[in-house]
Amino acid sequence: MTTVVNPHSSINPATIQQAFLASGDSGTALAERTAQVDHLVMEAAAALLFPAAPAGLAVLAVGGYGRRQLFPYSDVDVLLLFDSEKLAVANKEAISAFLQRLWDAGMRMSHSVRTPGECTEVHDQNIELNVSLLDQRYLAGDRALYARLVEKMPRFITGNRDALIRNLSQLTRERHAKYANTFYHLEPNVKETPGGLRDYQLICWLSQMRETEASRLGTADPAPELRQAFRFLGRLRCYLHCQAGRDHNVLSYEAQDAAAEQWQMGDAAHWMREYYRHARAIYRAAIRQLETNEAQSSSLFAQFRDWRSRLANADFSVHRERAHFRSPQALDAEPEVVLRFFEFMARHGIRASFEAEQQIEARRSRLRAYFTEPRPVWPALSAMFSLPHAPLAVRAMHDTGVLTAMFPEMEQIECLVVRDFYHRYTVDEHTLVALQNLWSLRDADELPLKPYGDLLREMPRPGALVFALLFHDSGKGSPGEGHVNASMRLAQSAMARIQVPPHERENILFLIRRHLELSAAMQARDLFDPQTLRDVAHQVETVERLKALTLLTYADISAVNPSVMTPWRAEQLWQLYLMVYNELTRELETERIEIDPSGPPGRQEFLRGFPTRYIRTHSETEIDEHMMLEERSRKRGVGVEIRRLESAYQLTMVTTADRPGLFAAVAGTLSSFGMNILKAEAFSNRRGLILDTFTFADLTRTLELNPTEVDRLRTTTERVIAGKIDVKELLRNRPKPALPSRSARIAARVVFDSEASGTATLVEIVAEDRPGLLYDLASAIAANGCNIEVVLIDTQAHKAIDVFYVTKGGKKLETDQKQPLEAALRRACDPAG
Amino acid sequence: MKKIEAVIQPFKLDEVKEALKSIGIDGMTISEVRGHGRQKGHKEVYRGQEYNVDLLPKVKLEMVVSSARADEVIKTVAGAARTGKIGDGKIFVYDVAEAIRIRNDDRGESAL
Repeated sequence: MTTVVNPHSSINPATIQQAFLASGDSGTALAERTAQVDHLVMEAAAALLFPAAPAGLAVLAVGGYGRRQLFPYSDVDVLLLFDSEKLAVANKEAISAFLQRLWDAGMRMSHSVRTPGECTEVHDQNIELNVSLLDQRYLAGDRALYARLVEKMPRFITGNRDALIRNLSQLTRERHAKYANTFYHLEPNVKETPGGLRDYQLICWLSQMRETEASRLGTADPAPELRQAFRFLGRLRCYLHCQAGRDHNVLSYEAQDAAAEQWQMGDAAHWMREYYRHARAIYRAAIRQLETNEAQSSSLFAQFRDWRSRLANADFSVHRERAHFRSPQALDAEPEVVLRFFEFMARHGIRASFEAEQQIEARRSRLRAYFTEPRPVWPALSAMFSLPHAPLAVRAMHDTGVLTAMFPEMEQIECLVVRDFYHRYTVDEHTLVALQNLWSLRDADELPLKPYGDLLREMPRPGALVFALLFHDSGKGSPGEGHVNASMRLAQSAMARIQVPPHERENILFLIRRHLELSAAMQARDLFDPQTLRDVAHQVETVERLKALTLLTYADISAVNPSVMTPWRAEQLWQLYLMVYNELTRELETERIEIDPSGPPGRQEFLRGFPTRYIRTHSETEIDEHMMLEERSRKRGVGVEIRRLESAYQLTMVTTADRPGLFAAVAGTLSSFGMNILKAEAFSNRRGLILDTFTFADLTRTLELNPTEVDRLRTTTERVIAGKIDVKELLRNRPKPALPSRSARIAARVVFDSEASGTATLVEIVAEDRPGLLYDLASAIAANGCNIEVVLIDTQAHKAIDVFYVTKGGKKLETDQKQPLEAALRRACDPAG
Repeated sequence: MKKIEAVIQPFKLDEVKEALKSIGIDGMTISEVRGHGRQKGHKEVYRGQEYNVDLLPKVKLEMVVSSARADEVIKTVAGAARTGKIGDGKIFVYDVAEAIRIRNDDRGESAL
């Protein structure tokens, strides 16, 4: 094509644009615009610059213009290379006239005026200048001057390579961070988003700078896959410019639809997947280049890297902070080695090497064939989901295609755009971000996130939660079914294949089914209306599920976009959690379990008559353990079990031989062994089965250092319960604990509340904690002829907060019965007076 | 012109927005705020520890409308935000001296 431009005409992009829109060939459009601009620039230089400076000035095209990749509305980067600063200053007016002419011709000029010396200095604050020179192209003027610059450049680059790469890396990392380090944006900026054209250029620049042969310096030869991605993105950017009539690079929903229609590419959501495929190729190559270069220029990093290489084992080696397969063939012989590889990553936080990623990707179909057969993969997967770097491993599983090879159910959400005003990422990316956000709670130690962090840290096995999170939106790729139902169906099929145990399956399905409930309640229900709390409590059923659902809701909301989980919203969700938690745990005698429809007959028999609270505050595993203990206790009428928790012990007792003072007696037994009770709960059902749990601290490490003492404590407790030992005798020989200093002491508080429960009087006691306190309090209650229906004990530093629900003669306490009990309790709180 | 500022219950936001939309009011600024008036905070106990909830979550809507429409807008917001309980919120009305559309320098009601 021949372009005719007269000196006074402005740039007219219309013909180029029309040709581009008809053909979709951006390569030709860019080259033609470059030629058009070249012509104008050279003409303006000949008319306005060179008459003033016939020697000592060269005009160079740099940046995208230098590469002959001038998009329809991109800035035109021109470098005016002067022999000396003096000459440049002397030609100020000529430069101004030259630029004005080009502006008037419709070009957005971005110019710089430099000497060869200035071009070969590292500009920390203007790295763009250094980088733009990598793509310089001579246009007109003093050839000898230009030759001097060309001669200096290789030495400059080799001599300052590390500084240049460091600056470029920093600039890129900052840009990536601005886009949350992901290319899965629903409305991406095709130039700036990770995986965009800027990253393609980064790859070229880095390889240009790494080129050690002087003759090849400044050349880049990206892989065919990348060149293809560049063509795809280049075409889109060209289109966006034509559509907007300016340098606009955001691929909005409207632009996606319009482009799909323009080139008959079908459904926009469908071809956006192609966009992500190309962006992914560029992003991965860019990250790989960045890391290789960063690692080479940091010796401190190298030391750390070498230290990390000691984590290698028989299957995997660690080299340059990346995990490698010692023998990739092992993947063929034993496909499950891939799971161990991800487990290794999840444990140590070491990423997969590019070679390992490729080795896995090459075996994707084989892995898929292996994992789509029913196999007991759940234990390994669940264990991996509990490890410190689980999100890193899950992301790698996603990126290498292993996640969809294991769970083809998730294929439909891969790179899936679901248009929504608030969502920023594709569905799969939303899921991965949700998992990352969930994990970041582990380090949360400040309000408002700390309480969420506590919930997660206290969760013994978060595997079910992680699995539910992975599948919670999997149904979004199945239109017409309702995404919650579709997600449940897909999760069910995956769980059956990997053999998730039934009760975990129920929990996972529960979380998926209810994953929108808490946000819906926050958004549309009055949280201060008791009915709202009753409804939510009814939906979540147990404290264990409430905790998991709260965490899942936090992760889900926070992954919609980076600014949606405001402190305000986090507080609101926590409020809801607290109120529902209290709703679930405060229900007492009034509501008892009559039938448990989900369990087998033995379980129903065991649960019948316990307060509803019991089932809501205990996990399935705990209930199973209690049933087994009851089974064992049948012969002797008493069963005691002691198990070690993370930082304390727990004693569980069951007996059918209730008697006044029984709870106090067990509390006293623990005190006689020097144990400090932190938490206690007492339950009884209408069949007369007593089930009490005591969580206690072993302050002197007696049980840890003398394992036989555990057995002695168990048998002693059993004998006390059976009435064979008098607890007073046990306590007689205990040394009296030292009282804390007066100034540090907490004033005892005893409060009665007859309204909190329909059948019992609530007595709340706040007192200075000390060994034996619970025994003294419970004894005082028993000595006053009162019965303890329920007890909730908690300790906060030195403060004990004990809540007893007591009755006398099966009824609430009368006013005259409260006074003597209060006096006795106060004496128990403060024996020293 | 009047500026109408309404502090309402968060769960009423969608209803209020819908009601405003139905009378042709689309533009507004919404912020997440905390506060308390007659609806005092309350105390929650979690694992033996007391949480004082002094400031309750609320949503604040701000919009500027022509004086002629102010009453209609106020009625619409109040009607949609009302539950009849303490804590429903408040509406404040201010006089506005000028409105300027930054894009094209439109002034007065045409800038709304």
